[in-house]
Amino acid sequence: MQPPGVPLDQPFNDVWSECEDLFTQARATLATLKTPQPAHVVQASVNALFRTTHTLKGMAGMLGFHSFSRAAHRMEDIFDLMRQGRLRSTDSLTDVLEAGILALESGMEGLRRGRPEPDDYLLPLRRQLGELEALARPTEGGSRDLTSMLDLPPKTLKALSDYERTRVTSLLLDSTPIHGLTVCLDYATFDERLRTLSEAVAMHGELISTLPADPPEDWEGLCFLLLVASAHPAFEELPALEGEVLSMALVADPARVPDSLRAKPDPEPAPRLEPEPQPPPQHYPEMEILRIPAQQVEVLEARLMDVGQLRDAASRWMRRTPGNLHDEPVGLLGGMQDGLLEVQKTLLQMRMVKVESLFSRIEPMVKNLSRELGKPVKLTFQGGELELERSLLGRLGEPFLHLVRNAMDHGLEPPSERVAQGKSETGALRISASQRGRNLRFDIRDDGRGFDLARMEARGIGLGLIKEGQHYTPERIHRLALEPGFSTQDQANQISGRGVGMDVVRAEVEGLGGEIHLSSEAKRGSLVRLAIPLSRAVLSCLRVRCDRQVFGIPLGNVHRVQAGREILHGGDQLEVLGKSLPLESLQACLGLPEPEAQRAFVVISQQGGSAESVEVAIGVDEVLGRGEVLLRSLPELARIPGIMGGSPQEEGILWVLDPEAILGLAMDSLMRRVARV
Amino acid sequence: MAAGRHLLLATQDLREVVAASPVTPLPGPSKGIQGVVLHQGEFLPVLAWGDLPGCAGPLAPHPVLAVLRPRLAVPVERMLGLVDTLPEGWVEPEDETHAWASVEGELDDLRAALLDPERLVNLLRRFRLEA
Repeated sequence: MQPPGVPLDQPFNDVWSECEDLFTQARATLATLKTPQPAHVVQASVNALFRTTHTLKGMAGMLGFHSFSRAAHRMEDIFDLMRQGRLRSTDSLTDVLEAGILALESGMEGLRRGRPEPDDYLLPLRRQLGELEALARPTEGGSRDLTSMLDLPPKTLKALSDYERTRVTSLLLDSTPIHGLTVCLDYATFDERLRTLSEAVAMHGELISTLPADPPEDWEGLCFLLLVASAHPAFEELPALEGEVLSMALVADPARVPDSLRAKPDPEPAPRLEPEPQPPPQHYPEMEILRIPAQQVEVLEARLMDVGQLRDAASRWMRRTPGNLHDEPVGLLGGMQDGLLEVQKTLLQMRMVKVESLFSRIEPMVKNLSRELGKPVKLTFQGGELELERSLLGRLGEPFLHLVRNAMDHGLEPPSERVAQGKSETGALRISASQRGRNLRFDIRDDGRGFDLARMEARGIGLGLIKEGQHYTPERIHRLALEPGFSTQDQANQISGRGVGMDVVRAEVEGLGGEIHLSSEAKRGSLVRLAIPLSRAVLSCLRVRCDRQVFGIPLGNVHRVQAGREILHGGDQLEVLGKSLPLESLQACLGLPEPEAQRAFVVISQQGGSAESVEVAIGVDEVLGRGEVLLRSLPELARIPGIMGGSPQEEGILWVLDPEAILGLAMDSLMRRVARV
Repeated sequence: MAAGRHLLLATQDLREVVAASPVTPLPGPSKGIQGVVLHQGEFLPVLAWGDLPGCAGPLAPHPVLAVLRPRLAVPVERMLGLVDTLPEGWVEPEDETHAWASVEGELDDLRAALLDPERLVNLLRRFRLEA
C-alpha cells in the first residue's frame, strides 16, 4: 500500500501484490464456506480469514491508512466472533462477509490509484455488520446492547453513554423505531435554537441523546444529531428557521432485531465449533511461494525470445549447409524448440488468471445490491475458464463494479414494475466472456428497461454534447452515457447516478487499448460490450501457406479443411457438406497480390458457430498442419486488418489471423467482385 | 543521417539505439511502416522513410535503428554525434517535411531538420485512416 504523499516505488508494488494475494485467498476461503463443510473445515477457514484481515489491518496501519485499518479491524472482529462460536456460519452471514471483503478490496484498489481514504469503507454494510455484532454480543446477566444496530458512524456510537445504550436497547426491544434528526444551526443562536428544537422533538418521542455531528462542507455553524425514539414521528412540523438545515433518517428499525434477542436471554452461548469429532488432520505439502516482480518475468520472456531466435538461426544454418542434415542435431534442435515453447507457456501461465477470478468479485456485490434495492436477480456467468493477464484483472475490477451497479440500479425494474410488464419478477443479469480474435470480449446483459434514449438525447442537448434538430443514430445516443458528468438521474444515490462511473469505465477500457459499446432495446434490456485486447496468448492454430508466407488460423474457427482438389479462384461458389459457400483467397482478404489459382481451402466461421453463423471458404496455397503458437500482439502502428498478431518461428514470423475480421474482409472483397462484374 | 538527410533526434525522445536486424514485412498494405523487428520480446514497427513526404528517392542501407519512445524504430544510415543546444535561427519547415519535423535550419553549414515523434506518429496514424 502506498502511504499518502509517498510516490509508488518497488517496495510498495510488493505490498500491493501481497494484498492482492491476501484478497485472492480470502475470496477462495469464503467460497469454501458457501458449501456445507465439516466443522473443522469451517473452523480452519474462519481462522484463515481472521489471520488475513488481521494482516491487512496491520499493513494498512503501518502505512498510515488508518480508515482502512479500522475497517479491516471490524471485519477481523466479526471473524473473531465466529471463531468464538458466537456467530454461526450461515448463507446470509457469508454474503455479508463476502461483501465486506469486496469492499476492502475495492478500497485497496482506490488507495493504489492514489485516491483519498473514505471515512468508512464498510459504510454500505453498516446495518448488516451492526446486526451481526448485536447478535453476537454476550448476554451475561440478561443485559443486551443493540446500539451497534444504529446506522451511525463508529465514532458517533462510541460517544453514547451507558445509560443511552441501555435506552437504545430497551426501545428497540419494545419495537420503537429510532430516528436521527440532523440539525445545522448558526453560531450566534445555536444554543437557544437547539433547546427549542429539543423541546419540540420531545413532544413526538423520547430524545435519547444529542450528539455533535460533522457539518456539511460549506456550512458555517454547528451541527447536531438528535437521537429520537418515536413510533409516530412528525418532524416536518418542527419549527425550522430560514437558512437552517434539518434532515431526518431512520437509524434503527426494530423489525430487524434478531428474533433470538427478543426471546428470553439464552444462557448458553452458541456452541463452539471445535467439539465436533474431527477426522484425522489432512496434511498438505508445504508450498513455498516465491514472489517475483512482473518486470523480471518480462525480461526473462524477452531473453527466451532471443534464445529462440538463436535456435531458429542454428536450425536454418543446419538445413542450408550441405552434409549437415544429420538426424541427431536436427532432433536436438527440435527438442530445444519444444522445451522453449513449454517454458514460454509456463511463464505466460504465471501472468494469467482465470476470468472466474473477476466473476467471483462480482457475485457478492450483486447479492448485496439485490437485497439493498429489493430487486431479486438471477445472475449467470459464462466463460470463467478463459484467461486474462493478471495486470488486466486489477484494472477491470472497478469498471465491472460500475457496470453491474448501473445494471442493477438503472437497468432492472423493481419486481412490481416487471410483473406489470408481464416479465418475471426476478431480473436476469448475464455476464459472459469469450475470446474474439485478439480480444477478450465481455458482455454484460440485463433484461431490464433498457436505456431511455429520448431522455438521454434531451440531456445530451442540454449539456451541449449534441445539437438539437439533428438526427443521431441510437449508437451515438447510447455513447452519450460514456461522456464525463452525463447522468439522467435527478438525484444521486449510494448505488449510482452521480454522473461519474461510465466515463471512468470508458477511460479505463480505452486505456487498455480496448473498446466499449452500448446497446439496448426499450423494455427488453441492455447490453454493454467490452473488448479488451490481450497482449499475448497461447493458441492452437491450423498452419497454412500463401505464397511464401505462413499464417495460423485459430482452430476454434476452423470448420473444415480441404486440399488437393480442383483449381480454385476467389469468387467461386463451393459445395461443402451440402452447403453452397463463397470462396475468397486469403491474399485478396489481406489486400495482397492475388494468386492465379489455389488448391486448398479452409472453411471458417464465427467462434462457436451456430447454424446461422456466417461461413466462408478461404483459399490458401497449402495446408501445413496444426500446432500451438505463442501469440504476441502487434503494436498499434503495425496493426493490419485481419491479423491478430504474430509468432516468431524458424521460418520467420507466423501471422495469426483474426478469423472474425477475415470473415468481414472476405465478404467485403466478394462484394467488390460482384460490383466489378 | 537518415533518408539522405541530416536529422536531429532529441535525446529525450530516444529510447535506445540498436543494430538493425532484418525487417519482416507486414502481411498487408501498411503505408509508412516497412515491417517489424523483434526487440526485447515484442514486435517493433520500423518506419518506411520512402513513404514520408519529402523523402522520396533511393534510400541507402541503414545499419542502425533509433528506437523512439512511442515504440517506433527509425532506420538510420549513420550516427554523426551530439549537439548540446539547437542552433539559433531554426524555423518551422515550409515544405511538406513539416508533417514529421518540427524545425529545420543550418548545422555546420548543412541543412538539417529536427524529427518530431508526435508529428511523425500522427502522420502514420493518418496514413492508416486513409488506407
